[in-house]
Amino acid sequence: MKCLYCDKEIDTLSLTSLFLKEDELCEKCRKQLNRERKIIEVSGLKIETFYEYDGLFRSMLLQYKECHDEALKGVFLYGIEDYINLRYFGYQLLPVPSTGTKIRQRGFDHLAGIFENVKLPRVKGLMMNREMCQEGKSLSERREIIDNYSYNGVHLNKVLIVDDVVTTGSSLMGVFRTIEPISKKIKVLSLAYKKY
Amino acid sequence: MKCLRCGNEDPAYFYKGSKGYYCRKCIRFSRILFEEEPESFDYELSQDCDEYRFDYELTAEQKKASAECLAALNESDVLLYCVCGAGKTEIVIESISSYLRRGLKVAYAIARKEVVIELEKRFAKIFPHARIAAVYGGHHDDLSGDLIVCTCHQLYRYYKSFDLLIIDEVDAFPLKGNETLMNISLSACRGRIIFSTATVDEGLKKVLAKRSYKTVSLFLRPSYEPLSLPQIFYFRQPFSLLCLNRIMSLTANQAIIFVSSRKDCLFYYRIFSRFYSCTYVYSDLENRKQNIEAFPSGQYRFIFSTTVLERGITIRNIDVVIMNSRKIFDAANLVQMLGRVGRGLDSKGNSYIISDHHSPSIDETVKYIRKANSYL
Repeated sequence: MKCLYCDKEIDTLSLTSLFLKEDELCEKCRKQLNRERKIIEVSGLKIETFYEYDGLFRSMLLQYKECHDEALKGVFLYGIEDYINLRYFGYQLLPVPSTGTKIRQRGFDHLAGIFENVKLPRVKGLMMNREMCQEGKSLSERREIIDNYSYNGVHLNKVLIVDDVVTTGSSLMGVFRTIEPISKKIKVLSLAYKKY
Repeated sequence: MKCLRCGNEDPAYFYKGSKGYYCRKCIRFSRILFEEEPESFDYELSQDCDEYRFDYELTAEQKKASAECLAALNESDVLLYCVCGAGKTEIVIESISSYLRRGLKVAYAIARKEVVIELEKRFAKIFPHARIAAVYGGHHDDLSGDLIVCTCHQLYRYYKSFDLLIIDEVDAFPLKGNETLMNISLSACRGRIIFSTATVDEGLKKVLAKRSYKTVSLFLRPSYEPLSLPQIFYFRQPFSLLCLNRIMSLTANQAIIFVSSRKDCLFYYRIFSRFYSCTYVYSDLENRKQNIEAFPSGQYRFIFSTTVLERGITIRNIDVVIMNSRKIFDAANLVQMLGRVGRGLDSKGNSYIISDHHSPSIDETVKYIRKANSYL
């Protein structure tokens, strides 16, 4: 088996491979991702994160999202999926929605792909009021997205809001505010955070 | 199964996504679905864009090579095999002009972004009425012009768009040994290709074997000066340091000291910056541009460099020292590094190789230089 990122042959006969699911990245690439669990506070929200949006993680996520390399969908949450399943048992998963244009362009919803193997029930009914892409926008422009979400579903019990990268926290804050009045408990998780 | 852009036929590199199978071999350039024909890029040429002028007279040998190149393009691709500093760019100007005159599309592709920026200015002077489009990483909003100058990595945007494609420094990173990038570069051309290089390695021979081509060679520099034959010393550390110190203390010229890694660069800089005015440069150094610019202005006498400075830099009266360790440099690298010596008219300099082992690449380099100098 070859590493999905660097194409080098992966040693499949390691001791860990007996107990864990096979990793699609080689040891070197996995190490360079620098996974480190951190709780950060952005715009008053406590967000659990696992990577810094930099270096290899950034290149890999860009390859997945911008070059549309769906094969990489499983590499980001490798080793974290079980933790999420246990830690957030009883929660419903709510990925921050992407714009329809982006989904059509890619042919897949990138967040749904990343969280595909997380066994939590999904929340349905959250949508963007108008198409707003955050790419290339300034920090103040990004904050406009806060009021851009609406929810037309049932009342929620425990919700886990998830996103890929948190920069200003506007998207997460927007989703949080939208569902806050109809939810009992909300937790927020982002795969990575961006220093700015 | 075959990717029409990079030519990959290995089924292991095809992945089934939501829109169908796509090639992962060239995925970093953008997704291309299985058997999907990428769109070619079309643009209009402006009038009189083919007119060119030089501020200097070409040598008789350059004129001859230029005419040979243009004639050869009528029948096949061209391998432009010239020594460093022979004026490869000048030789292809006539061919570029001829294609533009016929309303055909031309591009000049080269490995490094810095060289693209420099070439844009140079071509703007040579072709005063043409719009030169420089396309490189972070600068690709406008892809059209009369003459496209771009890095090889940007050629994926121009699938089958050019009637004449000049690929310069085929023997250099990143094209060297990168079959995917080479195939993407080749797929940008629907007509003829000029492969321009100072050394022909196995990878290039493999590419040329599949194509019909003619070789146009020029082993004379405009100055008619011979290529610098290096003095070779075999020393291990710490004697190699003493040897380098001796060379640095005796030379009156500025010198580029090539080392094999970033770590070595910092190591030598830390030692020698105590005694000499020197700086250093490597590819991902933050203030790389400032350090490179400060050196020709005379601010420093010595610069420690990785292969970053092996191409595209012309400084008069310069010495070159190569610290050849750990078998990093091959003949192509050594030829390019030594080619920094004696560039420009009335330019003098010496070259040295300090090696901790005997390597075939050194023998090959010496053989190449002797052969080139025998044409004088």
